[in-house]
Amino acid sequence: MRRRFVIGKVLGALSTLIFVVIFNFFLFRVVNDDPINSMFRGRNLTPEQLERLRVKFNLDGTKWEQFVAYVQQLLRGDLGYSLKSSRPVTTVISEALWPTILLVGTSTLVAMVGIVIGYRAGWRRGSAFDATATSVSMLTYSMPEYWIGMVALGVFAASLGWFPVGGLNDAGSTLTGIERMLDQLHHLILPATVLAIAYVGEYMIVARSAMIDTSREDYLQLARAKGLRDAEVRKRHAQPNALLPVVSLSAINFGFILSGAIAVESIFSWPGIGQQTAFAISGPDFPMLQGLFLMISAAVILANLAADLLYGYLDPRVSGR
Amino acid sequence: MQRRLLGLGVAVAALGSMLVTTVDASTGDSPVTLTIGLMQDLDSPNVTVGALVADYELWNMQYATLTDKAADDFSNIPGLAESWEASEDGLTFTYTLRAGLKWSDGTPLTADDIVWTINTSKEQEWINHYSTTQNLTATAIDDVTVEIVTAVPDPKLPTMDVYILPKHIWEEPASTDITAFDALDGVGSGPYTLKSRNAGQDWTMVANPNFWRGAPQIDQVVFRVFTEGSAMVAALKSGEIDFVHDVPSEEFDALTSEEDIETVIGQQGGFSELAMNGMAGGIGDGHPALQDINVVHAVAMAIDRQALVDRVLLGQGEVIGTLGVSPDPVWTPEIPEDLQLNYDPEAAKQMLEDNGYKDTNGDGIREMPDGSRDLTFRYAQLSDSDTAGPNQQLITGWLKEIGIGTTVSTYDQTQLTDVIASGEYDMFVWGWTPFVDPDPMLSYFTCAQLTTDLESVGYNDANWCSEEYDALYEQQNQELDREKRIDLVHQMLTLFYTESTYVVLYHDADTQAYRTDRFTGWVQQPKGTGPVLFSNTSPSYWSLAPIDASGGSTDTTAPGSTENGTGTTVVAEPDGDGGDDGDSNTGVVIAIIVGAAVLIVAGLLVLRSRRARDDKE
Repeated sequence: MRRRFVIGKVLGALSTLIFVVIFNFFLFRVVNDDPINSMFRGRNLTPEQLERLRVKFNLDGTKWEQFVAYVQQLLRGDLGYSLKSSRPVTTVISEALWPTILLVGTSTLVAMVGIVIGYRAGWRRGSAFDATATSVSMLTYSMPEYWIGMVALGVFAASLGWFPVGGLNDAGSTLTGIERMLDQLHHLILPATVLAIAYVGEYMIVARSAMIDTSREDYLQLARAKGLRDAEVRKRHAQPNALLPVVSLSAINFGFILSGAIAVESIFSWPGIGQQTAFAISGPDFPMLQGLFLMISAAVILANLAADLLYGYLDPRVSGR
Repeated sequence: MQRRLLGLGVAVAALGSMLVTTVDASTGDSPVTLTIGLMQDLDSPNVTVGALVADYELWNMQYATLTDKAADDFSNIPGLAESWEASEDGLTFTYTLRAGLKWSDGTPLTADDIVWTINTSKEQEWINHYSTTQNLTATAIDDVTVEIVTAVPDPKLPTMDVYILPKHIWEEPASTDITAFDALDGVGSGPYTLKSRNAGQDWTMVANPNFWRGAPQIDQVVFRVFTEGSAMVAALKSGEIDFVHDVPSEEFDALTSEEDIETVIGQQGGFSELAMNGMAGGIGDGHPALQDINVVHAVAMAIDRQALVDRVLLGQGEVIGTLGVSPDPVWTPEIPEDLQLNYDPEAAKQMLEDNGYKDTNGDGIREMPDGSRDLTFRYAQLSDSDTAGPNQQLITGWLKEIGIGTTVSTYDQTQLTDVIASGEYDMFVWGWTPFVDPDPMLSYFTCAQLTTDLESVGYNDANWCSEEYDALYEQQNQELDREKRIDLVHQMLTLFYTESTYVVLYHDADTQAYRTDRFTGWVQQPKGTGPVLFSNTSPSYWSLAPIDASGGSTDTTAPGSTENGTGTTVVAEPDGDGGDDGDSNTGVVIAIIVGAAVLIVAGLLVLRSRRARDDKE
């Protein structure tokens, strides 16, 4: 891979990130100028008390002064304080990160089964397997997460009682070690399955069409002519070449793992980033929103960068000869 | 290869058997737990920071107050102080503490803690204390005697309902920035103290053996945060939780017919209003017609408030025409019949007609008497409110019927606060929830609370003020005789009803539901109309008791309550501690099966890929 290609991609990612930092600040200031009056409505506070709150949340001074303070904070790795809880935004986000990685990460990995199915379906295009797999994928792909979640919750948690109605652990549980892990697994199954069902179709459809494109290539005929078994041709010659669209889809989805899944996390009261985002929006708690947006944007930008670089490695044509 | 698979199988089996053993062992003496579902997380357990209903509930459980409030009617009853005396001039109060008070960690609770809390909260202007302590100075006479002097006559005294904090824990954080303290110490003097908190998920309060009334009968109370209302209701039905705060209104009716579940519509004085811009602050561009009280009254008479309660709140509210100034209904006056502005669109039309607001151009909208402009009002509503949309559709429809046009804008809370402060609106719909003492809510509508420049935004969002109201306000604020003060407040509220630019639409309610098969002793505060938990002091936590195996209950009467156990006629569970053990066992077994299946599939995949590689090599 050419060095220029790598440097170009990294610089591109960096400049996007800087744009996000600036945009992020003004986005929330345009919508909301001074949230202190509304947040403390009906609390019987004196004007002096309100003024002190303004200073605390960096809402005094001109826009420019606020922006400089915000960038300085950011460079120290400090995202400010949540308007609602007065806790550092970084702490709140880091607490919510693990449950989200567990839920969205697990379901993304499970949903990647769709790639295998897609490859097979694309390889035997028009077969009964293809027809079934494609229509099931289209069906699950078009069902809203929220709806699948409510149905799953109603049937498996509320009626049958096989799974808890929500949460990451049993509320107030004092379990530790392996028991705690099993308890979390028990809580994880339902939301992770719902998300996996919602995601699997996308992988299947992308993998299938990539495989169909590849299967028309001449080199596959050559491989067959050499007398290789059909499965061998698919695995060694077709699959690697059908990998590119799948890699970029996966990389981008991994970026979105950190953004959580607002609908499913809300239904299952899952204490992750999606739930924190929903809480912050209802505030509105904009230091929180600012921090969350920045973190999510950074994750997606990095995942894209990784996809670009991987692309260059997998297909040397991309990075230029 | 085969050895690998075997190993996997053994590991899964071992894991499973270990789990089953531990589950068996733990069913023996698990703590008696009351689990509460709510749609809100704590924002902070720190009493100088938090502001949400969930936080107040935590503090009510963790911090006892000098004087307590009766469950029935909020009257002042002994708390940490067993008695008190007032001086002749009504400015000095001497409180005598109970003997042998202790914090939950065993440290003695003395006059020093009380003096420190009152004086420090005043110096540092703590947000939840300052409105009570701003004029007070406390001095410790000895370990059990505190003298509190108020700089101005204050009818709220001798009520001292500020949360008393343990000085030995809070002194250090208060020396720098008290709001930065995480307050997870769990040291308190109330019936329960904070044991643990999982942000976004739950928090657990454990019984305090040193509570001055004695340890409560439930070992722990777990608050579980839900982000989806119907999931929370499902958890109540399945017995995963025992109580639900804020039942979604569409689920409420179905719950009332559910077996073993009791529903509560609890009034706490919270209300929603249609406010019109009276332009008293002098800034902004409110419609001139709204400075004519006849137009304001016509608007009031165009609105069918009962229909709003029935159709918007699905019956979970009440039509009370006046401002809610306290959860205690004693402060609410009866409006004399001849002053009532009841739904009567024909009379409203006539009133507009008589005062010169006629529709001369035949477009269905009336004009100002001088013909200068239409009676079309800017109607502002909140975006983050379930009731805003339905309210707006009904209200603007009714206004249209009497010849008043509207243009609707939607704002979030911050934006609407700004719009109101700048006076750039004609009408808006929003709401308030009062404190127990009526003073703060009454103060919001004095002339001093008008916003006259944008640098200092006041609370008076009626944008109306009256000298007569202000004079009455001053009087009630210094009237130490409760009956006389009630009378003054009634006069103020009647005046506000007939003269102000506020139309109170309805008093909304806290919708709650609880299971009747596990605990007994649920008490409404105030009696008969209030919620059972999340009320002003939530006395139920003290009176609640598990229903024991014989079907009876141990009697603990809530402080200041003449009712006890709204859910006593129930059949007991044979095993005494709830029916969810079976469920969780089933769940665990399923978890094991699924886990094992995943592991086996993973193992097979590994095997296959190995074999494939072997083939190639």
